[in-house]
Amino acid sequence: MSTAVNETSAGKEPLIVSFCCNWCSYAGGDLAGTSRMSYPANVKVIRVPCSGRINPMFILRAFQRGADGVLVAGCHPGDCHYSTGNYHGRRRLSAFKRLVEFAGFEPERFEVRWISSSEGDKFAEEMTAMTNKIKALGPNRKMRDARWQKIT
Amino acid sequence: MAENNVENLKKIREAVSQDLLGGRIDLLLGWEKGHYWWQSRPLFARTEEDLEKLTWDSFCAINLSRYLLDELKDFQKVGVLVKGCDARAFNRLLQDNMVVRDRVTLYGLPCPGMLDYDRLAEVAEAAPEGIIEQNGKVTIKTADGEKSADRDDLLADKCRDCIYPDPVVYDQLLLSPVGKKEAPEKFTAIEKLEEMSAEERYSYWEKELSRCLRCYACRQACPFCSCRECFVEQQNPRWQGRAYQASENFMFHLVRAYHGAGRCIDCGECERACPVDIPLQELNRKLTKDINQLYGDYEAGLDAELEPPLLTYRPDDPAAFSEK
Ligand code: SF4
Ligand code: SF4
Repeated sequence: MSTAVNETSAGKEPLIVSFCCNWCSYAGGDLAGTSRMSYPANVKVIRVPCSGRINPMFILRAFQRGADGVLVAGCHPGDCHYSTGNYHGRRRLSAFKRLVEFAGFEPERFEVRWISSSEGDKFAEEMTAMTNKIKALGPNRKMRDARWQKIT
Repeated sequence: MAENNVENLKKIREAVSQDLLGGRIDLLLGWEKGHYWWQSRPLFARTEEDLEKLTWDSFCAINLSRYLLDELKDFQKVGVLVKGCDARAFNRLLQDNMVVRDRVTLYGLPCPGMLDYDRLAEVAEAAPEGIIEQNGKVTIKTADGEKSADRDDLLADKCRDCIYPDPVVYDQLLLSPVGKKEAPEKFTAIEKLEEMSAEERYSYWEKELSRCLRCYACRQACPFCSCRECFVEQQNPRWQGRAYQASENFMFHLVRAYHGAGRCIDCGECERACPVDIPLQELNRKLTKDINQLYGDYEAGLDAELEPPLLTYRPDDPAAFSEK
């Protein structure tokens, strides 16, 4: 995380950072790929072991360094590879989502979705929907680190 | 407090000196007068001589439990004077495994609420030079005379909002209980902010946080901030940048508040410690409000046996994102 997520987001194409859990959502993304479904190249996937592994600092760092939207994707509750990771993740990320909204982020900027390894279609749909929502909102400037800001 | 202050202090001193001189504790954490009459600072008493400095007046706001983190490294048995908030702070530390229960003796002090110098000055409309307390009234002495006010109107913010002035955990209760206070409207400020647009809220926080010196006094004062290495000092990864800009201010404040999700005991010490009056409690209380609403009422620090809401889950929990 100490290198750039992407240097530019202001201006044209939005950048979406998606943290996908290794066991379900990342595999769902693979399935979308092998099934030749397409989703916008705006989404950059970062693989994590579990949605319970998400440290909220990952999300804030993404916003600092160029993300216009962040999507965390994990196994459906009940299907966690580690049994309870996403149950914990659900509570933590719920509290965190409300907090970033309270700080002034638009609700659309940060989302959480449950996508299983067999839901390649859902993966493609959610990534497309997120990209469209962020496109409509425009570039994010909140919490952007001034040193990572590209002049538009 | 003043009318039986002398008597109360005598009771407290008797109880603790018995234990300190008898070797049941190696150190007593209490308060002594600070540089100014309106300051009482922590006292670290090891001898009878030290104990003579002990004070218990209307300015003992500082939470002593936090000092256990350091003192338990050097002393085997430590005694602490605990007000309501210090006791809840102790429970917090206990739940985090940061203190060992049987190495600590808690002397409970039911608390009448502490006074705030700024409020005294505001009411007196001049620099206060001293106070006299009697029957719930405070007479404030200034250079040009005296002014009298209700004690309740002079309380520090944290005490005005406090509902548990009696210690919730102790080994000995040294004074008589004052009873549970009525719950104040803690969430009004939060609701007002929630009604603003996202843009307005961002500007609000950008402005408020721009004053932050990142001195981390709020963290040092806080009983939930007990990590040996805080993310702000971590070098690899270096989460907290040193630059002075909104981005880094948000990083610090959102993460600090979030680390207290379901753990903040609402003692108000962070806000009291902040030299630039950042409304830190608004962030803390936002989390408390949402967690209570989503996962059921929980009051951190009241009962060390109850599991904090973010350490547990129910399979049918609701979520704050559009997907369940
Ligand atoms: S965040 Fe503030 S109010 Fe909450 S426990 Fe820490 S010092 Fe007390
Ligand atoms: S005490 Fe106040 S100024 Fe210091 S770091 Fe905390 S919020 Fe910032």
